[in-house]
Amino acid sequence: MMLDLLTATIVTLAASSLLLPLLQLRRIGPANLSGYILAAVLSAVMLMLGVYATGPTQSPWFGSLLAYDQLGTLFALVTVGVTLMVTVASFGYLKDVNNPVYYSLLSFTALGMVLLSFSENLLMLLVAWELMSLPTYVLAGYDRRVRSNEAAVKYAVIGAMSSAVILYAISLAYGLTGSIEIPAVVRGLVAQPSILTALTVLLFIAGFGFKMSVVPFHMWIPDAYEGAPTTVSTLLAAGTKKAGFIAAIRVVLAMTTIYIVTHSPLFTVANVLAVLALLTMTLGNIAALTQKSMTRLLAYSSIAQAGYILIGFVPFANNPSSVAATIGMTGALIQIVNHAVMKGVAFLAAALVLYELRRSDVGAYNGLAKRMPITAFTLAVALLALAGVPPLSGFWGKLMLFLSVAYGPFDWLAVAGILNSALSIGYYGYIIKRMYIDDPEVAGRVAEPRAYVIVFAAAVGLIIGIGLFPQPLINFASSAVANIIPK
Amino acid sequence: MSFLLSLLIFLPIAASPLVYQVTKWDRKRGISFSIALAVFLLIVTAYVFWQVYAAPPAPGSYSFVEKYTWVNFPFFGLDYLLGVDGLSTPLMFVTTLLTVLVIYGSRELINHHEPQYYALLFLFEGAIMGVFSSLNLILFYVFWEIVLIPMFFFIGVWGGPRRKYAAMKFIIFTFVGSTIMLLGFLYVYLGMPAGMSSFDIPALAGRVPDGIQYLPLLSSFVGFGVKLPVFPFHTWLPDAHVEAPAPISVLLAGVLLKMGGYGFLRISITLFPQAAFEYAWAFMAVGLVTMFYGAIVALLATDLKRMIAMTSINHMGFVLFGAFATVASGNLLGVQGAIFQMFAHALAVGSLFMLSGFVHEQAGTREIPKLKGLRLTMPRTATLLVLASAAAMGLPPFASFLAEFMVISAGISAYGITAVSVLVPVITAGYFLWMIKRTILSAPERQAQVHDMSLADAASFAVYLVPLVVLIIASYLILTPALPVAQYLWHLVST
Repeated sequence: MMLDLLTATIVTLAASSLLLPLLQLRRIGPANLSGYILAAVLSAVMLMLGVYATGPTQSPWFGSLLAYDQLGTLFALVTVGVTLMVTVASFGYLKDVNNPVYYSLLSFTALGMVLLSFSENLLMLLVAWELMSLPTYVLAGYDRRVRSNEAAVKYAVIGAMSSAVILYAISLAYGLTGSIEIPAVVRGLVAQPSILTALTVLLFIAGFGFKMSVVPFHMWIPDAYEGAPTTVSTLLAAGTKKAGFIAAIRVVLAMTTIYIVTHSPLFTVANVLAVLALLTMTLGNIAALTQKSMTRLLAYSSIAQAGYILIGFVPFANNPSSVAATIGMTGALIQIVNHAVMKGVAFLAAALVLYELRRSDVGAYNGLAKRMPITAFTLAVALLALAGVPPLSGFWGKLMLFLSVAYGPFDWLAVAGILNSALSIGYYGYIIKRMYIDDPEVAGRVAEPRAYVIVFAAAVGLIIGIGLFPQPLINFASSAVANIIPK
Repeated sequence: MSFLLSLLIFLPIAASPLVYQVTKWDRKRGISFSIALAVFLLIVTAYVFWQVYAAPPAPGSYSFVEKYTWVNFPFFGLDYLLGVDGLSTPLMFVTTLLTVLVIYGSRELINHHEPQYYALLFLFEGAIMGVFSSLNLILFYVFWEIVLIPMFFFIGVWGGPRRKYAAMKFIIFTFVGSTIMLLGFLYVYLGMPAGMSSFDIPALAGRVPDGIQYLPLLSSFVGFGVKLPVFPFHTWLPDAHVEAPAPISVLLAGVLLKMGGYGFLRISITLFPQAAFEYAWAFMAVGLVTMFYGAIVALLATDLKRMIAMTSINHMGFVLFGAFATVASGNLLGVQGAIFQMFAHALAVGSLFMLSGFVHEQAGTREIPKLKGLRLTMPRTATLLVLASAAAMGLPPFASFLAEFMVISAGISAYGITAVSVLVPVITAGYFLWMIKRTILSAPERQAQVHDMSLADAASFAVYLVPLVVLIIASYLILTPALPVAQYLWHLVST
């Protein structure tokens, strides 16, 4: 009997999570051995997932717990990719403290995210959610600075709350439908609209919204991202946030026909999502304009990006069989992939600047092009991509997202999205201006570690490559969209 | 299938890292290499220009067409579609010509970060070629946005004292304008009847239903209006032009502004003819206001460069006015005049900007009241300044007046009242002559020493001005290929 690649992926990640801490016992060998091992494991996992995505569907080992589809593969690839990026970038950051444990926690998070990507059962989803979240609470406080610990506590409290909200929603769903399998739950809830059904949907949106950084559940984001070690912020912004999206796609999006308030067509899932999208992107962009700290700026920009992604959900929730729905969901998925790369590398660049210059205020970026040319170039490319400037990867996501609502009942959302996009050049351009046009406060080249340069080069290659040849990514995303409507 | 247009786009873009390396290694060789490359591109463009002149494509069709599938899905498709006609080739020709002159003129005026400068120059040139030859809206938008990036750095890194402010203002204005323009394109794509959605201009021309023409026309007006610029959206221009180094001002005025005029003709009128017809009076009014505004503010300017920048606004108003005069009246002279005006303005104002750079370099100031007796202190510069001013104000033997004549007469055939537009050339002549009186004909303050440009530099200005003299005899070089363009636009409007 052939071992299917997905099971192999999960087993490999579980093994590395459990075995890495054993390296703590070792006294000799290279300082970063556990990091190298994890990087190798994650690369292998990505390879397996890649082969899995292109190969024929294999028989599942986990019964109805996991859905073996392209949608899951797409998210698993993205989240493992981000973890790999963070792992490589951590080589220089952690020389001394407990690094096998650190990498093991990263591995646990990756495992949680992979399981979550495929979950098709509410309990599996909750377990995966916790498996992903718990290690990140520890990671956020890994610095042993007061700020880092404060961020960790704040994040843990909010995280626990969101888990509780999700659990409550699950219990309601089970009570209403008698099932914890997502397709059955969705069918059951759609079949019996009531005030409890609406409450269940809202609780799911709120619970996942915390991780997705959707306004009004975003308050913890800037503090946590700023206080946590910046490499960990990268994982939170580019990795675990995506997990919130996959959960929302699997659970909430299928319930399109439910009215949030019974018999009131104003409160449809589509309208609720549209308003959340509008609030999220507008608040994120306006707050980002006024930030003085780079990590906070990126955090708010990350909130704004969540708003753009939500736009793509709206036409689907409105009418899943329309062309606009396909365009929107494809746009949302490719924006999720692109955002992981763009925002991930932007955070890592910020991490490197913080690590080398010991500063995270925007003033530290003055004249960065002269001091750290590779970092500055990477950051500039990432920021332009985030702003949606063609021909970079971020352009395609935004193009399809805005296209999906450009004509029809939600055209106001496209106008708002375009204006927000225009607004965002105000702060992205401002940072680029600081790096390339302003003069540095202190002169002199600063060394850029090789590990970072590798990650930067790979990310810039991806951003430009996808920008010029978007066809394969759109292909993958549109085949994943086909999996969204439950059978 | 031809490959020349792709060559014109991607050769400069691909060569720009090479230019960077060569210039970094040896400044002189870098510049020689840049000039050689720019001349090669000029020759290729001249060939394309000549082919389009010799056999103008029929109304609604294009020469040197290249079509490949770029992105292809049942729900979303994009073509890599290039093609040129009598609207694009004059602009492409003037772009490559100005690029050669700008590189030549930059030798003395640009003294730091030169490798980056020349590399960005070619990135800019390639992107502009893409803008002028794309026939797919999204491809057009891609190049349109790429143009912004080198320009942002040109102003921000090599600009004057307020360069940081000017660069940010430039990028914010133009980015906001272009995103709003993109929204209009998306609206059209999704609003088209089932099975007809496309981003290809030839596939959309004449087929966009009346009902969905108005909003995209408005959004494209914002996008192109910011670039042109038209009156309420122009405030980035004086800052950008004044702060940019002189060679870059040449490109801004000579090339970047033309993107706006080109967009109005290629996209706004072509795709949304019925809406354009209905609101032609409004566009003409905006054009008229822009013309007067530019002229009057130029009259008041004391900075020579600011005055020239305002001349650009004034002249670009003619483009908008002429284009929509044809839409309103069917008098084809309007569109022909608009195309002619874009070509003539690029050379006349380009030479003026370059001269203002030399004046600033040699006299240390550009304040008109402080510049005195240039005829004695810098005779060559002064002579050229008089000639270039004559070209800009439309004095024969320079061909610029033909354009203004055509545009104004088309305007009158649309609405008689627009005859007031003849006052604009009068005001233009007034402020140029006043500037010449104050700076050139006045007595020098003290016995200042002669400090003039070299003969070779002076000779380079012949390249700007001679084509304008030639065109007065050979105006058919531009007007003949422009005729099918005008006919096609009127055909779309009238059916």
